[in-house]
Amino acid sequence: LLDISFLSDLKRMNKRQVFYQFLSFGMIVSSALMIWKGLIVATGSESPVVVVLSGSMEPGFYRGDLLFLTNDLEDPIRAGDIAVFRIKGRDIPIVHRVLQVHERDDGYVKFLTKGDNNAIDDRGLYAPGQLWLEKGDVIGRAKGFVPYIGMVTIVMNDYPKFKYAVLGLLGIFVLLNREA
Amino acid sequence: MSQENAPIKIDKWDGNALKNALDDAAKKIMNESYGLVESFKLIDGRLALCSMAVSCSLFALLWDFLYPFPASKTVLIICVACYFILTGVISVYLLYFEGGVFYVGLEKDKAGIDPDDKWTLQSSLKKYDDQYCLKITYTGGVSKQTRSVERVCSVTEFFDEEGTLCYDLYEATVKGLKDSLSADKKAK
Repeated sequence: LLDISFLSDLKRMNKRQVFYQFLSFGMIVSSALMIWKGLIVATGSESPVVVVLSGSMEPGFYRGDLLFLTNDLEDPIRAGDIAVFRIKGRDIPIVHRVLQVHERDDGYVKFLTKGDNNAIDDRGLYAPGQLWLEKGDVIGRAKGFVPYIGMVTIVMNDYPKFKYAVLGLLGIFVLLNREA
Repeated sequence: MSQENAPIKIDKWDGNALKNALDDAAKKIMNESYGLVESFKLIDGRLALCSMAVSCSLFALLWDFLYPFPASKTVLIICVACYFILTGVISVYLLYFEGGVFYVGLEKDKAGIDPDDKWTLQSSLKKYDDQYCLKITYTGGVSKQTRSVERVCSVTEFFDEEGTLCYDLYEATVKGLKDSLSADKKAK
């Protein structure tokens, strides 16, 4: 089995070349990571790209749409803004519209949200006893979107084995591909 | 288990494999037939730069994990900037300093006094092409002068139908090239 011709390339590599194969793999992963962290810093949002997971914002956003967020803390939150937020204690981000805003002179803001396609406001979704959201709960506000592309992420998360298989195959391909 | 001297067999339609096989064989010829000592400085430079870039990103990952954004903002900006600057440096390094060089061999001075003479091998093989260009450059240790010779051959001259490298034929070509440079050296 070890005499398959494509493996002969790999057998002739010295220590340095083997190390470089791993480094190339590391460079690809690092580039993706640095672009992501760069986006986080540039937009000010801890998750600058999110996927719409439910149909609660139809017909504006559908399940599977990709949203681009920015989180400008200086820009005041106004009713009508589409905010992406996380309820304390839960991971899943929710994309809904701001319905009511209350502002105090000292800068404290609290607001209520509701999905366009939902019959009732989000108080049922908030943590027990919580009636309002605050600035700290907001991950960002939607500035742009690309339709459908997020379905790939949804499928990969529904079938994690598929995700690991794809990532694994990509990794193996990069590691075993000796460049000239 | 295949041994050091087993013939190299590759997929003859794979351009990458062709170039790698020819390069590896050339390295072997230079090391074994002429007793040159391989110098890894160029490769080590590249490895060091890439390692620095990867460490930069790993550091950013770790820092952001320990002190979640937005506390890590400054460190992240620095790491991202450093990473992309290093990537640019690596590209420049690969293009200008390495530029297709796959072997640097040092010819030790027999008396052990003078600095080593340097033999550099560069090669190129375009995608989907069969024209393999091998360039040998000699840099005198004392004189610091460079002389080089290059030869373009079709890969079909060295590989048979099954994709096995005809080592003897290739050895003759490489030795011929190198000896022509040495002869030049003596003539001057």
